[in-house]
Amino acid sequence: MNNLSRKLCFVVDPTPFPDTGTGADRGAPAGTPRWVKVFGIVALVVVVLFIVVLLVGGGEHGPGRHSPSSDPGGHTPTAGVSHGDQQP
Amino acid sequence: MIMTPRLRKLALTVHVTSSVGWVGAVVGFLALAVAGLTSQDAQLVRAAYLAMELTGWFVLLPLAVASLLTGLVQSLGTKWGLFRHYWVLAKLLINVFATIVLLLYTQTLGFFADVAAETTSSSAVPSELRSPSAVLHSGLALFLLLVATVLAVYKPRGVTPYWQRKQREQRALSQP
Repeated sequence: MNNLSRKLCFVVDPTPFPDTGTGADRGAPAGTPRWVKVFGIVALVVVVLFIVVLLVGGGEHGPGRHSPSSDPGGHTPTAGVSHGDQQP
Repeated sequence: MIMTPRLRKLALTVHVTSSVGWVGAVVGFLALAVAGLTSQDAQLVRAAYLAMELTGWFVLLPLAVASLLTGLVQSLGTKWGLFRHYWVLAKLLINVFATIVLLLYTQTLGFFADVAAETTSSSAVPSELRSPSAVLHSGLALFLLLVATVLAVYKPRGVTPYWQRKQREQRALSQP
């Protein structure tokens, strides 16, 4: 397949030849791409933040986690417990 | 197993439909969540939370699972593979993470729906329903799904070390 044919195939459908140097892999460097590093760092930061929030909240991540304030006279939601379960 | 072109097109159509449908459903859910958080109309707020629970179980979750399963079929049934290209791997992680969070969040939606369904003499909105939780979760979900969509369209270059090694082995075997 010459270059022109490859280019035409890629325009019509970019998916058939992912491993033959056509499309997304054209001239791909052997090392880890920059976008993967950025993606990994952002994902790591999100996971660490999530763990910190869990630890600060005493391991609770239920309905009450994002509630604006405690409500002494009303419902006190807890993780994994439905409202109906709190009724006597 | 590599799919035939016709089967591949069908699988791709189902995958795109479920994935884009998931994005659209999250946008609808976000609209309900914003209405539930900001509206002064107690009836509207209660209705929004009841609709959110139904949407979560009968729209979001089926679409999320369909997107995940059809994505697996699409990657394993084509030369893209599941662990060969970084963008495929990133999409898989996003999809699995979003589906797990959604599954866990159905408990919270059940709690909100129970509160919303309670009959009270007061016309005020229950304080529990003023939580930004639904807006936060659906906003994060929308962001993640848009990132996945961008990855699927642009297919940024880069193959994993695993696939680089496999390719080197194949080249070595093919040489006399």
